[in-house]
Amino acid sequence: MSRSLTTPAASRLPLLAAALVAAPVLVGAGYAILASLGLAGPGQAANGMLDASRWHFVLSSRSTWWSIGWSLQVAIISTALATLGAVVVAAAFSTSTRADRWARGVATLPLPVPHLVAAASALLVLGQSGLLARIGYALGLVQTPADMPPLVYDAPGVGLMLTLAWKEWTFLALVAIAVRGSIGDLYDETATGLGARTWTRWRLVTWPLLWRGLLPSVIAVFVFALGSYEAAVLLAPVQPAPLPVLTMERFADPALARRGDAYVLALLALGIAALAVGLHEWSRARWSRLHTDTTRGASS
Amino acid sequence: MCVLTAWVASGCGASGRDSAANDRASVVSAADELATLTALPWDSVVERARGTTVIWRKWRGDPAINAFVDGWVAEQLRTRYDVRLEAVEGQGAELVNQLVLEREAGRGRGTASLLWINGETFAQLRAESLLAGPWAGVLPSAAYVDSASPIITRDFEQDPAGYESPWGSVQFALIHDTVRTPEPPRTFAELAAWIQAHPGRFTHDQGFTGVTFLKMLMYANGGGVDAFAGGFSEERYARGRTAVFEWLARVRPQLWRKGTTYPPDVAAMHRLFANNELDFSMSNNQHDVINKIRQGVLPPTARATLLRDGTIANAHYVGIPFNAPNPAGALVVAELLLSPQAQYQKLRPEVWADGTVLDVTRVPEPWRSRFASLAQDPRALSRDSLARYARPEVAPAYHERLQADWRAWVRGDTARRE
Repeated sequence: MSRSLTTPAASRLPLLAAALVAAPVLVGAGYAILASLGLAGPGQAANGMLDASRWHFVLSSRSTWWSIGWSLQVAIISTALATLGAVVVAAAFSTSTRADRWARGVATLPLPVPHLVAAASALLVLGQSGLLARIGYALGLVQTPADMPPLVYDAPGVGLMLTLAWKEWTFLALVAIAVRGSIGDLYDETATGLGARTWTRWRLVTWPLLWRGLLPSVIAVFVFALGSYEAAVLLAPVQPAPLPVLTMERFADPALARRGDAYVLALLALGIAALAVGLHEWSRARWSRLHTDTTRGASS
Repeated sequence: MCVLTAWVASGCGASGRDSAANDRASVVSAADELATLTALPWDSVVERARGTTVIWRKWRGDPAINAFVDGWVAEQLRTRYDVRLEAVEGQGAELVNQLVLEREAGRGRGTASLLWINGETFAQLRAESLLAGPWAGVLPSAAYVDSASPIITRDFEQDPAGYESPWGSVQFALIHDTVRTPEPPRTFAELAAWIQAHPGRFTHDQGFTGVTFLKMLMYANGGGVDAFAGGFSEERYARGRTAVFEWLARVRPQLWRKGTTYPPDVAAMHRLFANNELDFSMSNNQHDVINKIRQGVLPPTARATLLRDGTIANAHYVGIPFNAPNPAGALVVAELLLSPQAQYQKLRPEVWADGTVLDVTRVPEPWRSRFASLAQDPRALSRDSLARYARPEVAPAYHERLQADWRAWVRGDTARRE
């Protein structure tokens, strides 16, 4: 649509739509701020006075920082694994041959599996008496459950990372396949014509284009993995507690007065998610500027 | 968006009958309506409940209990009273948080008319004035409640004061496998020795049952339940806490996963026990083991055992929230749950085996004879043993503090603020 055809009402529509989408988050965040200061929610101060003790307690508690650090680590590693898997699928099965189409279809099969089912299945497969341990027993590698390395309720969160990576890999693969398809073969053919070898083509042409298209989804997966409760509550250890589990734990604390801590933790999680999205927007703006400058330079 | 908001505000699927009840709400509050109902003859309460729906928020974590409620209870309510029952998930802290939010939202009436509660949840609901009442005394079957039992007439030492009506009682038990552990330990001292001799084979869960286990440890090593009775005392708690954490520190290196992590709940413990990762599980219901054997969750050789130091017994109750859309229906459901017929039905080993809160010597015939002749499952603990080792709950603050201190201890964190 050209600028001259855009009416003032039409130009306001996207803003209105964005406001409607953002409204629940803004209202929720506003309420959480009030509740974190003892002005609303369970366990609010009887005298209705502003009380910053929840912020002080949460921020000075070691478990908060352990929890944030551990959750960041799990989210980063599981997102990296999922991205790697997705890129491999998109790169390895990119042609329109029947075999590649089948492979792409099979790679996205886990997509409809709910996260809760994936986590419950992980318990049955990865547990010290799970399927892997039983295969190990059949092969003579494991004699008792304790011989099997702990992969669930484990301190590094291996089972949780594998479950999140397995679930998100399929989502990212779907996006990566679509992005790879939209890039087309022209760039590849041009690079080949200029003498680029396979690895050079991949490194300098396919990967940068794929990465730019995939990055918003990668950020979405990272934010989801950081805040995902279902898999974490089933698979994570007590210490460190994942951030969403710690938040729910505080929200259901037997002592009513301590439930306000959950709002502080929720706001911290929201802050980290907003930071991730903000960093992405910043890098995209920077990339767009570079791209524009390069195009101008080339045309002058 | 507006449609969605309106739908959420209307209670996400409350039936038309509940809407009618909500209309009444705009005129009188639930508390006023309940007060009026309690002054009426019981038959009039039943008449007012006819044709309505009751939403009951309850713990739905056990298939046997769900089958009893969704099957037998719902069917009885429908055929005898023309009341439709919707039993939905909700327990403990969730109930309190939800009602606080509903109160803040300023709606006349909420969604649930009945809540399954006890202990610290009852204390918080009362402290926040989120329960309507008193009403429990008007139920016809309240006349049969075992008023001599301190476990039923006191909820974590609190007087229910008519704001909740009992409907069952349970007692903590350890679960072991008679093949793997034919001679289980019988005291906390024996248990500590057993744990040290069998590294990695014992733990407790992080939830309510695990804290109940710790509270029993506090009684056993802190001078008995009498040392903690009569309300919360900081000084007495400090002594009890020391006793608990001394015992825990001694056995921690030999606990499952060296005491660095603990199963999230009893369901996870049952799975670890059934898969031979643990030699003990535990439950707040002494008969849970029989239900779980029947469901195929636990092996047929699993049995419950009691610690001679004493095991905690408590009762569970139903309460009516301050904003109940259907107080008349809630009263009828509470009465059915307390009736000799329902109490007998859920006591049957093949149904749920939940303890009765009635004095079975005072109920009318034919129920007196039926209770007396109810065959006990041969795998169940004897009633004599249960009675001998039963210990009451103490003030809810002990539970709250012990849970908070245990979490801080496991996480190596600083003590929580008070």
